[in-house]
Amino acid sequence: MFKEIYNYRQMIFSMVRKDLRGRYKGSVLGFLWTFINPLLQLIVYNMVFSIILRNNIEKFYLYLFVALIPWIFFSASLTGGSVSIISQKDLVKKIYFPREVIPISYVTSSFVNMLLSFVVVVAVVLFSGVRPDPLGILCLPVIMLVEYVLCLGMAMITSAVTVYFRDLEHILGIISMAWMYLTPIVYSEDMCPERYRVFLHINPMTSIVAGYRDVLYWGTVPKLSTLGEAALLGVVFLAIGCLVFGRLKKHFAEEL
Amino acid sequence: MSSDSVAISVKNVTKQFKVFFDKGSSLKEKVLFRKRNRYENRVVLDDISLEITKGEAVGLVGHNGCGKSTLLKLMTRILYPDKGTIEVNGRVSSLLELGAGFHPDMSGRENIYTNASIFGLTKKEIDERLDDIIAFSELEEFIDNPVRTYSSGMYMRLAFSVAINVDADVLLVDEILAVGDANFQAKCFAKMQEIKARGTTIVIVSHSLSQIEQICDRSIWIHDGKIQMDGIPRDVHPAYMDLMGKMRKAQLAKERGEELEEDDDSGKDEEAKTRWGNGDARITRVAVIDENGKENNVIRVGAACSVRLDYEVKNKVTDAVFGIGIFRADGLNVYGSNTRIDGCRVFDINESGSLSIEIPVTAMLAGRYTVDLAIESGHGLPVDYWKGACEIETYSNNGDVGACRIGHEWHFSDPALKDIR
Repeated sequence: MFKEIYNYRQMIFSMVRKDLRGRYKGSVLGFLWTFINPLLQLIVYNMVFSIILRNNIEKFYLYLFVALIPWIFFSASLTGGSVSIISQKDLVKKIYFPREVIPISYVTSSFVNMLLSFVVVVAVVLFSGVRPDPLGILCLPVIMLVEYVLCLGMAMITSAVTVYFRDLEHILGIISMAWMYLTPIVYSEDMCPERYRVFLHINPMTSIVAGYRDVLYWGTVPKLSTLGEAALLGVVFLAIGCLVFGRLKKHFAEEL
Repeated sequence: MSSDSVAISVKNVTKQFKVFFDKGSSLKEKVLFRKRNRYENRVVLDDISLEITKGEAVGLVGHNGCGKSTLLKLMTRILYPDKGTIEVNGRVSSLLELGAGFHPDMSGRENIYTNASIFGLTKKEIDERLDDIIAFSELEEFIDNPVRTYSSGMYMRLAFSVAINVDADVLLVDEILAVGDANFQAKCFAKMQEIKARGTTIVIVSHSLSQIEQICDRSIWIHDGKIQMDGIPRDVHPAYMDLMGKMRKAQLAKERGEELEEDDDSGKDEEAKTRWGNGDARITRVAVIDENGKENNVIRVGAACSVRLDYEVKNKVTDAVFGIGIFRADGLNVYGSNTRIDGCRVFDINESGSLSIEIPVTAMLAGRYTVDLAIESGHGLPVDYWKGACEIETYSNNGDVGACRIGHEWHFSDPALKDIR
């Protein structure tokens, strides 16, 4: 299977390119939205959580931002990924190709989008005066890769299940919102009561967000345990994703 | 037969679809309307086995819904069988959908890459084929324009060029030759024959039997999920047409209802609906001959053709009249005439013979036409009237419109425009 997907790498490449080019088609600001959108979200969250609901986290805007951008990638994979196969219905019904190509392309294009947003992240980090550890920066691609693996697993599950159960698309809107607040993004882990903290660690995004923060907010090298936990959960989700997808893909063409 | 000479092997394949009476795939519908989720299993393919050898060109025929397209989709692995196995050796290219994944804002060139990548080609492989693809599409001047500026004909040309240049070992085609203008169809057709000559295995699903006859050396007739007949097209197609004709008649009979049942009491067979007469003479064989003198009912508009018929005489027919009527698929009577209208001298027929109706210029524009042939006696007594005795399919090399091509020239009075004709 992996060999076959590798043979279709050009298809993944062109689907990603098409998606990125088509994403902001017709809008006046076009590709600039990739940068403006996260900035505007940052402003909203920052207003709510540092001006209205005050907290004592230093440089809250940065604390929030380095977690928000990876979160947007995750949430896009979860919700947008769920409709990725349905939206390619014509292709699935008419042509053979490894079906995995669709979620892979979707997640990859969201990933590229996140990388582009990191241009803004880097600017904000420099502006804040945080000087990241060089070794920490080397860890950054590893964290990103782990997140990619996790997102891919998620998208494979949601995309395949949504074909059979269309409500999932709408349910995921709520799940994604709840998930965001169950991840320490607008708050810090120690604000969560101790006895509930264990639940934060079942959540794979907790350790991923912690990893990004270690590097870009604290300017340190992420702990091996943080990375390990994230990687383990990522691989588990991908394995589940492959399993579910493999089971369900055979009847896509009939269900669509 | 050694296993490496087999291109496609289908073993005991069964495929059934759930046909929902009223399908709902959302939660509300699933819970609230539990009863509506009733479905019946419709067996589309029932324990089918067949083997296709490398380099063979096979046509799948059958009426709508007989399962031939499903079989093709199983071969491409879009669908999976419920029981049995399908093995396909080599790279498969399917022409089930042309222009899949085309993006209107991207240039023709970029779309070639996108579209070819869906067939599993790598960038390097596409680079190698790029020139061939562009040349075949005849879109050299427009290749860097966005596809949305293309006419639908140009669009199809580009899409077909990509699909056909994949260089697959196995090519699966579904009604593909019905797209594009007739001119490009002819080109696609020639390309298909070239591909076949190269040793590619081809499987075609088509309703146009004449197309299958021209490309394929084997025809498989699928009827109600089973293989009804498997052999050379010349044997399979008449049997298929025969059954189709009977089914059509049965349907007509049903539409007309009771009235006909009474008629049928007279003992006349079902054929009476498309053929009648006193039987003194009978047309035994009909053929359409193209300009090259070959039996072929696909004729270019403007080219010569002829309709040949053999007839058998049982009893002498006095004051015989032979007639021909040409009808377009929608029922329009395009032309009709007979030997009397044309002013031929009065004659009788005593002995069996044959007749060729020569048409120096085929005027009917691209489309399907049925031909009625008739022998009459005296003033309109039918001896043998055969409705739909044969079919003529015409294709055009330009875009003129209407029912028939009427010869014409353009003459301007302005001397500067003298050269325009």
